[in-house]
Amino acid sequence: MANEPEKVVPPAEASVAEPEKAAPPPTTGPTDYFAVADVVLRLLVFASALVSVVVMSVSKQTEMVPTPFPPYRAPLPAKFNHSPALIYFVAAFSVAGFFSIITTLGSLYSLTKPGCSAKIISHFIIIDVLLLGIVASATGAAASVAYIGLKGNTHVGWGKVCNMYGKFCRYLGASIGVSLFSTVLLLLLVLLSVYSKKIPK
Amino acid sequence: METGSNMNGGGGKEVVGVANKQSIRWTDFGLRFLAFVLTLVAAIVLGVDKQTTVVAVQLVPTLPAINVRATAKWHHMSAFVYFVVVNAIACAYAAMSLVLLLANRGKKKGLSLMIILLDLITVALLFSGGGAALAVGLIGYKGNSHVRWIKVCDKFDRFCGQVAAAIVISLVGSALFLLLVLLAVLNLHKNRRL
Repeated sequence: MANEPEKVVPPAEASVAEPEKAAPPPTTGPTDYFAVADVVLRLLVFASALVSVVVMSVSKQTEMVPTPFPPYRAPLPAKFNHSPALIYFVAAFSVAGFFSIITTLGSLYSLTKPGCSAKIISHFIIIDVLLLGIVASATGAAASVAYIGLKGNTHVGWGKVCNMYGKFCRYLGASIGVSLFSTVLLLLLVLLSVYSKKIPK
Repeated sequence: METGSNMNGGGGKEVVGVANKQSIRWTDFGLRFLAFVLTLVAAIVLGVDKQTTVVAVQLVPTLPAINVRATAKWHHMSAFVYFVVVNAIACAYAAMSLVLLLANRGKKKGLSLMIILLDLITVALLFSGGGAALAVGLIGYKGNSHVRWIKVCDKFDRFCGQVAAAIVISLVGSALFLLLVLLAVLNLHKNRRL
C-alpha cells in the first residue's frame, strides 16, 4: 500500500519531465552560424573561380605587327591558349568552380535539413584541401608567366609582351588577382570547418 | 546506476582518444621530418644550379656566328627565386613545428589548431612555388613561338635537368604537407565522433 503512491508519483513526474524535454527546439547556437558562413564562403569561392575563368577566356587582343615583307603589317593575336600555363589555369579553375558549386549545394542542403547525410557533408573538407593545392599551383603558374610577360627577362632573351598588349595584360592581371582572393577564401573555408569541429558540442 | 554507466563510457572514450593520438603522433612526426628533408633538398638542388656553356650567337646574318660564353644561374629567373624562398620557408617551418610538437605533447590545446593553420598556408605556398617553377621551366624547355620566347634547355641541359629534379622533389614534399593536413583534419573528425 505504501508502494502504490510511490509508483503513482514517478509516472506523473515522468509525464511532467517529457514535455519539458520535448519543448526546447533542437539546439542551433554557434553551429548555425558556422553552417551559414560555410555556404557563403563556398558560394564566394564558386563566384571568384567563375570570374577568373571568364575574364581569362575573353582576354583576346589583336595588334598589328610590322613585317619585313608587304603588306608590312599583319595582325597578331594574343590569346590565353598560347601558353600552357594559362591553359592549366583555366582548367584548374573550371574544376574548382565545378567542385565548389557541388559542395555549395551540399552545404545548403545540410543547412535546410539538419542531420541528414551529415557524414558526407563533413567530408567536404577533403575536397576543399585538395582544391586549395590545385588552385594555389594554378595561381603560381599563371602569375609567373604573367610576370615574365610584364617585365621580360634579359638573361634568356625573352622580351616583354605587355607594352604591346595592354588590354590582354590587364585582363590577365585581374584574373590572377581574383584567383589569389579565391585561394585565400579556400584557406578560410578549411579553417572554418576545422574550427567548427574543434568546438565541443 | 546511470552515473556509473556514464563513467564507463567516458573512460572508454578517453582510452580510444589517447590510442588515436599515439598512432597519429608518430605518423605526424615521420611525415614532418620527411617533408623537412625533401624541401631542404629541393631548395639546395636549385640553389646551387649553375651552368656555363659556349653559345653561338648570330648578330648579323652575313657574318659568321660568334662564340659567346653564357652562364645560366638560378637567380636569373624570378620564378626560381620564389621557388627557393618558398622551399626554404617550408623547410624552416617543418623543423620548427617538429620541435614544437615534440616539446608539447598534448599540453596546450590551441597549438594543434595553429599548426593546422600554418600547415595549410605552407601547402598553398609550396604548391604555388612548384607551379611557378614548373611553368617557367616548361617555357624554357619548349619555348613559346607566339611571343618569340626561345627555348634554352637545348643549350643548358644540365641546368634544366637540375631544375626538373628540384621541382619533382618539392612537389613530393608539398604532397606530404597536404597529407599532414588531411590526417589532422580526419583525426579531429574521428575524435569528435567518438
